[in-house]
Amino acid sequence: MYDTKSDQMYRFMENEESEGQPRSNQAPRTLISMENIWKTYQMGVEQLHALRDVSFQVEKGEYLAIIGPSGSGKSTLMNLIGCLDSPSKGNYWINGNLVSDMTDDELARIRNKEIGFVFQTFNLLARATALHNVELPLIYAGMRAAERHEKAMQALESVELGDRVGHKPNELSGGQRQRVAIARALVNHPSILLADEPTGALDTKTSYEIMELFEKLHQEGNTIILVTHEHDIAERAHRIITIRDGKIEKDEKTK
Amino acid sequence: MDYTETLRLAISAIWAHKLRSFLTLLGMIIGMAAFMLVLSLLQGFKVYVDEKIAGIGSNSFSIQRFSFEDFKDTDSINAAQRLKKELTFDELDYIREHAKLIDKIGAKAGNTSRDVRVGSETLKDVGISGVEPVIGEIDNIDIDYGRYFTVTENNNSMRVAFIGSDVAKNLFPNGDVLGNEIYISGIPYRIIGVRVAKGTVFGQPQDNFVQLPIKTFGANFGGLRFSRSPYFAATSKKEVKMDDAVEEVRTLLRIKRKIPPGEKDTFGIVTPDAISGLIGSFTNTFGTVILFVPGIALFVGAIVIMNIMLVAVTERTKEIGIRKSLGARQADILRQFLFEAATLSAIGGATGLLLAFLLGYIVSKIAIPTVIPWWAAVISISVSAGVGILAGLFPAWKAAQLDPIEALRAE
Repeated sequence: MYDTKSDQMYRFMENEESEGQPRSNQAPRTLISMENIWKTYQMGVEQLHALRDVSFQVEKGEYLAIIGPSGSGKSTLMNLIGCLDSPSKGNYWINGNLVSDMTDDELARIRNKEIGFVFQTFNLLARATALHNVELPLIYAGMRAAERHEKAMQALESVELGDRVGHKPNELSGGQRQRVAIARALVNHPSILLADEPTGALDTKTSYEIMELFEKLHQEGNTIILVTHEHDIAERAHRIITIRDGKIEKDEKTK
Repeated sequence: MDYTETLRLAISAIWAHKLRSFLTLLGMIIGMAAFMLVLSLLQGFKVYVDEKIAGIGSNSFSIQRFSFEDFKDTDSINAAQRLKKELTFDELDYIREHAKLIDKIGAKAGNTSRDVRVGSETLKDVGISGVEPVIGEIDNIDIDYGRYFTVTENNNSMRVAFIGSDVAKNLFPNGDVLGNEIYISGIPYRIIGVRVAKGTVFGQPQDNFVQLPIKTFGANFGGLRFSRSPYFAATSKKEVKMDDAVEEVRTLLRIKRKIPPGEKDTFGIVTPDAISGLIGSFTNTFGTVILFVPGIALFVGAIVIMNIMLVAVTERTKEIGIRKSLGARQADILRQFLFEAATLSAIGGATGLLLAFLLGYIVSKIAIPTVIPWWAAVISISVSAGVGILAGLFPAWKAAQLDPIEALRAE
């Protein structure tokens, strides 16, 4: 098990502070720290717990896979990690920021600065060129056009798409699209690269290419969190968290 | 996200749906074009009237048998015809002798429509009028070539004529006008001068006239009576107020006609103020009513824009989700869709304005002058952009409020 000691410590603190929401005044030194996270949905009169008391930490430079069957709560967890959603209960720290209590706009800023998303269906803007797609996070960061262009070009070159910058998504192959999405995710130098089934829409050969790219990015020092239900994809990571019924079932280092 | 980027985004989104954008804007375009066209007609009319008054001179006025109010309705026309008497040269001499505040005053008579002939060429329906020589100064008549009448020519009822440029052009195509004779009702008149061309106004040619000395006119056209009775044009002295000069003339004429105090004038005085006031009240009433209709078209245009923006937000839910996942704040999304609505609407307004310019140009060529004042153009673009913002407010707010997870899930 991973870091159960601090896990227990936080539980202890929660008991001390009577009503949920433990307050750690000091930000944890780890890149990501989830402390007793609950996510509850109100379904009529019933409460549905998508996540039950999930705690784990991620160090800078880790390559982590989150695996679990559908309905296990892994998508909910990914949305929380990606700051697309806020937990019902518990503290979530990312790079020294307590994001669990943030407003929508503050979450938007964290998504912009700290998170690079890679989606199963790429989620590129169909009408925009590869270059413009990669520029988007920089636009929302308020960067000037000239600087933006240069950075986006660099990011596209780093995924070997320097000659495809003017192409629109429908003029690119699936693998190329996913590489554009990865360039977009990396362009703002985020703390985490968060990939949701990144190979789900790709054939086997292209999947391997993308996974090799992730490996390369990891070696360059990027922190990668991979959400998947495929074991052979997850096994490329250096640590696997298995989630089932909203709880962490297993958290093991594999490499 | 900066404003130029937002604007570029808005334009590319509109451009991506060219036909739809055009159809959406059709109402806006028609509304704005109709609005501006009506405005330009009213404005053109006003400018024309103002120019006319400036041409006459703002310190000039006229004394006539009837005043404007007499033409209100048939009853007042009938009453005026019983009460009001023709002006006479006695009265003119009386005013000339006693008025202290009048600079110049002179008599005019006419217009009578006649054919004018030179050799075998005949020009039909030319306006013939008689004037005292001083009218040249009172009416600020611009002479193209030749000269105006002399007092001697008038006193001796000499057969001389001052003509409009259309008459000169049509009857003397080779340009040799001065000293030649024209025939009106068989009587020859020697041409002494030609006025500078004024073109057509409200479809009426301004240069198709012949002026004669008033005594010549009276002698050769059946006397200065009935429709040919004289009326007076006058200018006030520079140092006095025109209203005072008008009052003086009114008092003198009442004394001359022995009108008891308390009774109405048996003549009419027409001042530039009276003219522009009458025109102004007409255009204001007319304008308010007629601008109401295009106003409704603009309102409907705004609703159509709101509708299409709602459609755009629904269609682009996924895009909104992607943008939010990449760090777009609510304000960024709100601004994006507001800009799009405003840009769309402003394009509609500008197109409508352009259309109004074209239509106005055509109308002013064939009928009446039109003027689109620069402030109206500025206002129309800003109003349409403002309408767009209002119409886009709700759809943009809806877009900004979207939950990023839900939005990303959309197809």
